[in-house]
Amino acid sequence: MGLTISSIFSSLTSLANWGKESDLRILMLGLDSAGKTTILYRLQIGEVVSTIPTIGFNVETVEYKNIKFQVWDLGGQSSIRPYWRCYYANTRAIIYVIDSSDHARLSTSRSELLTLLSEEELKGVPLLIFSNKQDIEGALTSGQVSDALGLVEEKGREWSVRGSCATKGEGLEEGLDWLVNAIQKK
Amino acid sequence: MYHLLKGLHAHLTRKDEFSVIIIGLDNAGKTTLLEKIKSLYNNVPGLPPDKIGPTVGQNIGKITLPSTILQFWDLGGQRDIRTIWERYYDECHAVAYVVDADDRERLDEGWSVFDNVLSSPKILDVPLLLLANKQDSPSSLSVQEIRESYENWWQRRKAADRSQDDGDVQNGDREERMASLDVMGVSALEGTGIRDAVNWLFIRVQNSRRNTDAQSDL
Repeated sequence: MGLTISSIFSSLTSLANWGKESDLRILMLGLDSAGKTTILYRLQIGEVVSTIPTIGFNVETVEYKNIKFQVWDLGGQSSIRPYWRCYYANTRAIIYVIDSSDHARLSTSRSELLTLLSEEELKGVPLLIFSNKQDIEGALTSGQVSDALGLVEEKGREWSVRGSCATKGEGLEEGLDWLVNAIQKK
Repeated sequence: MYHLLKGLHAHLTRKDEFSVIIIGLDNAGKTTLLEKIKSLYNNVPGLPPDKIGPTVGQNIGKITLPSTILQFWDLGGQRDIRTIWERYYDECHAVAYVVDADDRERLDEGWSVFDNVLSSPKILDVPLLLLANKQDSPSSLSVQEIRESYENWWQRRKAADRSQDDGDVQNGDREERMASLDVMGVSALEGTGIRDAVNWLFIRVQNSRRNTDAQSDL
């Protein structure tokens, strides 16, 4: 697990609220209707819930393999994307969700992602991309998505593109496995 | 043996119960909302809206969902009774805050009350759903406009704070909300959006069940 001196120290001194302190803060971002809220609740309660477009945010503790993630799912509509930056501090990983059947908005999704990655506060933070809605015919493959996003330029952090289908629960655990590994190596 | 079976039956059919408080300024439509929820989920006609007067006190409604009971507490919204709201903060699992999206005159007054609720330490880890009510009126603000209206109010207040005490800009920093927050449009009168809203609350309180379970394990 690679405990650092400071995290041992903090776990000794703040036993009273260790639960919250030790949760890994993860931001889940992406354009509207990419499937972020569906992914969040699929991970948290294991069910497909009905969602409506998120204007605010959702935050839930997701426990996976004895690690507690505090996942922030922020609304993705263009008018509220500027608020993403309010949540960057102390982020340990980013999950960026793409609707891989939405060819028309892939370039918008790319430019939002690039803006995000250029932020000083998110420097070096591991990036997991869910290429979601793989069940839809004509969905781009993970390889096509990573090409289109131009991620080869991203040398300063670990990143991975994973195909997923949130409504069937496919690909999500594999993605989290990668993320756990990437966070622990840091 | 009977008691054993009875206990088992009670355990298997046990439903978790969660409390949701419905708050907001007077005349926002909180009681009408509660009556609509009751009539949609319990198959009983609610009070007709023209029979509903200002609430001084509380109204209670209970609905049954799969493996869950949601208990709603509709609390009075007039200025002098708003102080009772915080007496419910310790025990509630979610907050539904209702605004009259058609009453532009009172928006700013409403935002300062809302902001107080939003930053109350006791409910920072409780999901909060802001309901922009009266969407049946053509002149009401949309969900987007409601969010913008609040953001604008907040910016103005922050600017005012800053000019008051020039010193520390970070002064206005608040404790971070650790629970979901969203805005939804509804019409308590016509019932539009009500099921979406109840569904939102139902999904978000599931997490507090785990928290309670974890605490009782300790």
